[in-house]
Amino acid sequence: MTFGFAERIARLVFLGAGLALLSGGPAAAVPIEFTDEEIARIASHGPWPPDWRGDPGNRASGNPAAIWLGQSLFFDARLSANGRVSCAACHRPRSGFQDGRLTARGLARGTRNTPGLLNVRHQRWFGWDGGHDSLWSASLRPILDPREMGGSAARGARLLKSSPSLACHYREAFGKPPSADDPDFLPNLAKAIAAWQETLVSPPTPFDRFREALADKDAAAAASYPQAARRGLRHFLGRGQCATCHAGPLFSNGEFGDIGVPFFVRPAGVDPGRQGGIKRLLSSPYNLLGAYNDDATRGNAVGTRHLRPEHRNFGEFKVPTLRNLTLTAPYMHNGSLASLRDVVRHYSELDEDRLHSDGERILKPLMLSAGEIDDLVAFLETLSPPAPPQPPLPPPGALPCPARR
Amino acid sequence: MKSYAKRYPLAGRRWRQGDGWSVLLLAIVGSVAASAFGACPPTVADGANLVRDGLQLAWRPVIGGSPIAATAIPMARHFAIEVQVCSGATPSGATLAGLDATMPEHRHGMNYRPRIVALGDGRFRAEGMMFHMSGRWQLEFEVQSAKGSSRLFDDVRVR
Repeated sequence: MTFGFAERIARLVFLGAGLALLSGGPAAAVPIEFTDEEIARIASHGPWPPDWRGDPGNRASGNPAAIWLGQSLFFDARLSANGRVSCAACHRPRSGFQDGRLTARGLARGTRNTPGLLNVRHQRWFGWDGGHDSLWSASLRPILDPREMGGSAARGARLLKSSPSLACHYREAFGKPPSADDPDFLPNLAKAIAAWQETLVSPPTPFDRFREALADKDAAAAASYPQAARRGLRHFLGRGQCATCHAGPLFSNGEFGDIGVPFFVRPAGVDPGRQGGIKRLLSSPYNLLGAYNDDATRGNAVGTRHLRPEHRNFGEFKVPTLRNLTLTAPYMHNGSLASLRDVVRHYSELDEDRLHSDGERILKPLMLSAGEIDDLVAFLETLSPPAPPQPPLPPPGALPCPARR
Repeated sequence: MKSYAKRYPLAGRRWRQGDGWSVLLLAIVGSVAASAFGACPPTVADGANLVRDGLQLAWRPVIGGSPIAATAIPMARHFAIEVQVCSGATPSGATLAGLDATMPEHRHGMNYRPRIVALGDGRFRAEGMMFHMSGRWQLEFEVQSAKGSSRLFDDVRVR
């Protein structure tokens, strides 16, 4: 059954295609209609941005002094052991806070692709293996990891004490001076950096405008959404079953899966993915079951408390968001796929022999035609903003701290 | 490799008792939240009704303390399930020993292990459920009564 509004949109698109022919534009395509069920499923991928009420586990969440401090620290290489690696060395603002490399490169070369940070506040698990259950604990690990920044509490405290502005903002945010001897110091640094990352939200995309047009029954607004993207959206929802995992406004269920991307790591070894992530999470003093969670009710620790380790977790990696993909190539946990076309081809030609023997059973090669691959790529491209978003400005300088860093 | 059935035995065997205070707190909160839930025999308001071996089991999903329809369980979000076990017009005295859910077509279960708290009068609450993919989920309740163990099943479709 088709929806009357969808029919009107289809007519409009058909008319538009005819005009394009008359003007020497691309050839007319079969008009795309969406059923009531498809429109409901499209609606489930919004609104954008989703509601968000701060992180109850981070006392600095939304705190202007902490956001200012966090932004300063994010770009400050002095936190690292050699004074040359900042968070921004891998998380580059113009690239969706990714680095464009196959795998991260801090003090040493890593084994995983750098995840982008746009919209990171909406995630449940952090890192490809979900080894962290909060943005702040995920922000602390690279600072301390000897392969990434190799920092320490002592180095961090020296940096803050050397700058009246940083020290002042720390005091404003946490109510005490920075001290390497304070067990809260490192978590507080990370909570400030997390507070800033929480402000990194990408703008609405062409898909979001199309979704809103469908919801508002605004045929004229909907007509500007490209035909190829409509066909790709239909494949995404239907034959591809992509939305089974790539669900909701983020186009991710926030969980983990094995899609047959090799987990071997050069020169020798394997990346255990989610299996290792669960072990790391549960052994960390900084998980949400620990003393540094600022949510006294531990209501934010439901996921961690109820985790169920399974054999199939080996080789599973996080289902990534599909937003802002045009900014964050290459793709997959090891950066092994260079383009969105390569990603779609991966699913089209899926090697079932690579899938975990007790893993997901619905994954099958999609056997897409060249045109269908083009359509899916066209759809995925509409999940990114037309231009890279600018990093948000720090909070206005109304704080009683010196602005100089 | 263990069989699918062996990899998904009932959650009751994995049931971990919480520490005393948290269980007490949950019981108090649960008692208040469930005050409108749980008279025997169950009614439509108590959720879906299942019958087996002389037992009547009603279940309903709960998010943030508020009951929702089984058809409204959101994908990839934690929720709880409240359960009432009756024997005719009275609480059965049976225990909800396990609750788990699988996706039969996908051949896997949940990524989370629910914990069951007894609320009294044949009422129970399972915390930590999550359906992380769209499709058909099959719930499996294990009830222990004087007559032995009974398993009751129900299907939920998540969109």
